[in-house]
Amino acid sequence: MSSNCNICPEWDCQKLEDFKNVWVVGEVDENGITEASLQMLTPASKIASKLNTKIIGVLVGYNVKRFANQFIEYGADEVIVLDDERLSMYSPHVYARAIAELAKDQKPAVIFISATMKGRELGPYVANTLRAGITADCTEFDVDEKTKDVLMIRPPFGAILLAYIKTPTRRPQVGTARPNVFKLPPRDPNRKGKVIEVKIKEIEKPKTRLISRKMLPISEVPIEKAELLVSGGKGLGTIEGFNMLKDLAKTLNAPVAGTRKAVDMGWIPHEKQVGQTGKSVKPILYIGVGLSGAAQHTFGIREAEVVLAINNDPNAPIFNQSDYGVVADFREVLPALIKELSELKNKLKAKGS
Amino acid sequence: MRIVVGMKWVPGTTSVRIDPKTGTLIREGVPSIVNPHDMPAVELSLRLKDKYKGEVIAISMAPPPALKGLEYLIGMGVDRGILVSDRAFAGADTLATSYVIAKTIEKINREIGKVDLVIFGQETIDSSTAHIGAQTASWLNWPYIYYVHDAKFVDSKFVVERVLEDAVEEWEVELPAIIATHMKALKPRPVRLINKIRYKVEKPIMTWTNAELKLDPRCIGLKGSPTIVSKTVNVPEVPRKKIVYTPKSGEDAAKWIIETLMKDDKASKVLMKYLSMEGEAQ
Ligand SMILES: Cc1cc2nc3c(=O)[nH]c(=O)nc-3n(C[C@H](O)[C@H](O)[C@H](O)COP(=O)(O)OP(=O)(O)OC[C@H]3O[C@@H](n4cnc5c(N)ncnc54)[C@H](O)[C@@H]3O)c2cc1C
Ligand SMILES: Nc1ncnc2c1ncn2[C@@H]1O[C@H](COP(=O)(O)O)[C@@H](O)[C@H]1O
Repeated sequence: MSSNCNICPEWDCQKLEDFKNVWVVGEVDENGITEASLQMLTPASKIASKLNTKIIGVLVGYNVKRFANQFIEYGADEVIVLDDERLSMYSPHVYARAIAELAKDQKPAVIFISATMKGRELGPYVANTLRAGITADCTEFDVDEKTKDVLMIRPPFGAILLAYIKTPTRRPQVGTARPNVFKLPPRDPNRKGKVIEVKIKEIEKPKTRLISRKMLPISEVPIEKAELLVSGGKGLGTIEGFNMLKDLAKTLNAPVAGTRKAVDMGWIPHEKQVGQTGKSVKPILYIGVGLSGAAQHTFGIREAEVVLAINNDPNAPIFNQSDYGVVADFREVLPALIKELSELKNKLKAKGS
Repeated sequence: MRIVVGMKWVPGTTSVRIDPKTGTLIREGVPSIVNPHDMPAVELSLRLKDKYKGEVIAISMAPPPALKGLEYLIGMGVDRGILVSDRAFAGADTLATSYVIAKTIEKINREIGKVDLVIFGQETIDSSTAHIGAQTASWLNWPYIYYVHDAKFVDSKFVVERVLEDAVEEWEVELPAIIATHMKALKPRPVRLINKIRYKVEKPIMTWTNAELKLDPRCIGLKGSPTIVSKTVNVPEVPRKKIVYTPKSGEDAAKWIIETLMKDDKASKVLMKYLSMEGEAQ
């Protein structure tokens, strides 16, 4: 360590100007790079153009090189691939150390990782191994025009405030964002880019071993994929009330989501919770019934195009966050609405056949 | 086995107010609580102790009021608590916080006895970064598994079960290790009087300052934190039409809703699409 570098001895000294490029770490499943990872190319492209640098996709694993082109098609300029048999099984600490090793060598200025459940496990491990700062669950990224630091923007408490966080003295600057906070960039099958294969000397022996995986039943459309989403809150009162909402959903062929209180009541499982500690959804139409519109909840529907709310309290905050609001008791509205929609549905069917 | 469990003492309300002048959170007068997402972690540690014997040590890096939180955990059955507290730790981001926590675990390992397992909660309600578990594991170079909802020994191997978006997984984990629980993992047990009495008699909580930990001042607090908050702003509102209707009856409401949605380009398209779909999506 150079003597003019008066920092924590556990950290290595750095020259900030050595660090270039914006990395996007690719999480991979059987079908290739996950949509959540590809979404991170959207903020990467904004930041890379403001920093006048390249977007680099990073693939780490075994038998993953075949997916490199997906990164290019969705907007990466280059792809770095670490394809190694010793990485055939995902183990958080092994993958994290491998990615950190690559980053020590290649010196990216920025690393973006999608905050999927695996990403939230891996991201902070990668960052800390680099002794780098990390900001979780960002909703926007920008660049400080003067210093060229990346601004990581996130809601720190209850989604009421946004904090602008930066890392002025360390690189890389690591940030994560939840799935669906950013849109998938358009795919261009004709885009070309370099794919660079790299090796690292040491890959740790895993201290964790996956022994079984049971896929959860996916007979249902995941709420984050739905274009029409029906969602309920505590105001539905009882499971019978919630079932009324489910009937509406059935009529509409739409999946059901809910607030945290609906989850706490046991009406829906946690993976159907919308909001800051649940999921961000992006339906074209969001129908919220018996929910108050708490900031932590509406945080998850920022990307919804049209919001319809039914609530019997005219002062419920949700009416300020909706396009269309109906001040009424759901017990009166839902049966009538289900009836009208069923009739409409039958008319459409009759026309169709 | 010796289990360390991490606890954060956080403002307990969901209705946090903002100071209109400074734009910062008003924390005064807001009673603090044990971070709710740490409760499943505490419960898991106590269940493991019930089954396999040993001891559970709760740690919290925080100012002295957090003693109350540790006291609560002792009431649940945790054996002892360590408050890690020093003005020098103030202003820490998650990297500097996890550094202090990792060094605390090393000190426990040296002076109290070998630590087999560290359990953290899913995330804190006041910052919800979910960083501390992974970062602490990185400092110690221990394995880390997140979103755990069960753990047990199978043929003397430590096995944890965890959930992801689309799967439930079982992992064999070499100890020592760090795991963090899923917030819906386990229902916490209530405080018991007998444990409260034990607390009064034995005083099983100690405080470690940096005089005990002896950490380099450049690695802790503000100096040890690469990230800084440069400013905070109110969350910008999403522009919405805010058309509100008070109907005369349920039928009136239903008619208005359908008419209104049909007049909306985007809503009408998706409504027609979903209504014409065969079968059910749910
Ligand atoms: C750190 C943190 C993270 C959080 N994360 C999330 C999150 O991810 N998602 C989330 O949803 N919440 C989250 N919350 C909780 C959030 O603050 C609210 O408590 C929650 O969203 C409220 O749920 P609700 O709208 O169902 O219930 P309530 O706020 O109780 O609202 C019920 C509504 O129903 C209406 N109502 C009652 N009866 C009727 C009737 N007969 N007909 C019509 N309307 C009726 C009432 O007027 C009321 O507005 C979080 C909180 C914190 C502190
Ligand atoms: N100051 C702290 N002291 C002890 N444990 C902590 C502290 N902060 C966070 N933790 C633990 O780390 C978990 C994740 O916290 P966070 O990274 O802040 O979301 C929490 O659920 C706690 O178990």
